[in-house]
Amino acid sequence: MPEPMKPEPVRPDWKQLVGERLAGTQSCSPEVVTELADHLEEVYEGARARGCSETEAERIALEQVNDWQALAAEIGRAKIQEDSMNHRTKTVWLPAIGIVFSFGLLLLFLDRAPVLQRLMWVACMALVLGVVATEASRLNPRTRSIWLPGFVSLVAASLLMFAEEIVMFHDPSFLFTDISLRPSHLISGLPRWFYIVWLLAQVPCGALGAYLSRRGGGTRSARAVAGAFPALIIFFLCGLAIPMSAAVEHNAYVLHHPARLALGIFIWAVVPAVGLLLGAAPFLRAAELQPA
Amino acid sequence: MTRRIRSKISRGSGELAILSLLAEQPLYGFEIARQIGERTGGALKFTLASLYPLLYEMEKRGWVEGRWEANHAGRDRRYYRLTPAGRKQLAPLKEEWRNFFRALNTLAGVSHA
Repeated sequence: MPEPMKPEPVRPDWKQLVGERLAGTQSCSPEVVTELADHLEEVYEGARARGCSETEAERIALEQVNDWQALAAEIGRAKIQEDSMNHRTKTVWLPAIGIVFSFGLLLLFLDRAPVLQRLMWVACMALVLGVVATEASRLNPRTRSIWLPGFVSLVAASLLMFAEEIVMFHDPSFLFTDISLRPSHLISGLPRWFYIVWLLAQVPCGALGAYLSRRGGGTRSARAVAGAFPALIIFFLCGLAIPMSAAVEHNAYVLHHPARLALGIFIWAVVPAVGLLLGAAPFLRAAELQPA
Repeated sequence: MTRRIRSKISRGSGELAILSLLAEQPLYGFEIARQIGERTGGALKFTLASLYPLLYEMEKRGWVEGRWEANHAGRDRRYYRLTPAGRKQLAPLKEEWRNFFRALNTLAGVSHA
């Protein structure tokens, strides 16, 4: 009676494994994935040649990397700096310039304030973005994946705030400063159509933050935080800083209208957070890195 | 000894080991790791995680260059070879390590010979 045939052992697909572990990071270029997969394959074959079982050989190969996330970050750093000018220009400078010019155009269409004043603010924002972008590759992973993208997202959202301030009050100061001085502006200081335009513009701001976070090797939650960063800051300012300042300075309006403050937080933090996360959503889909 | 200093030493020794090997012949990543392990009797070991970031870093500095070529088994592998800049780097690096061991020897009777 013929012996039943043993099933062929399934050889690990190293390319797929490496691709999955590095997915969504800058280290995930086909060339790097192929090279690392080839290395694992040779370790595996070497172990098999020494008489190890498939399982044992696979374990030995996988022991080559303890922390894929750390490896991705290290390779990413080397690769970013390798062609820093091109990469930075393509992925940071161009989007940043695009945003600055978009908001500049918005100002030119909507604003009646002096052109010089508007251009000065746009130039300041561009400078901040430029400095941040230049420093990006030297920062640690958390700064690259949360703080920096969050800051860029916040700067983009703030540019719109500047636009609103200039259009409404001909005074390019943060709306929050204005709100903290005149809390009634939280809900009644701006026309509704302008609020809606600003709200819609939160979508690209959230997308920008999440995109930069993904570029910096951020996990899914880091990308979400980076995308929603402006809303978190507004929540902090409105939910914590204004009540604290009201308590210390005895701001009568805030003390006597807590419901208005709560409504203001809803309008300026909760609703924009939805817009920001909508923009961030496409960048949250890529697989999150898991340690081996 | 802090972890930072240890890491710098191992990185420095890794650079020297790779440059010395590639000074003899072009090799691909797995072969570099295998030969370093074999020729140092296992005293120096490279895993994938420790080798490639260092190789890419050295490539970025222009000390080595990688090129896809078929190996003896006909498989495409990325072979690294020393560049003139890397060759120039090798002598001072060796001298640095010689001085380092001399200093340790003077201090603690640790000889590299």
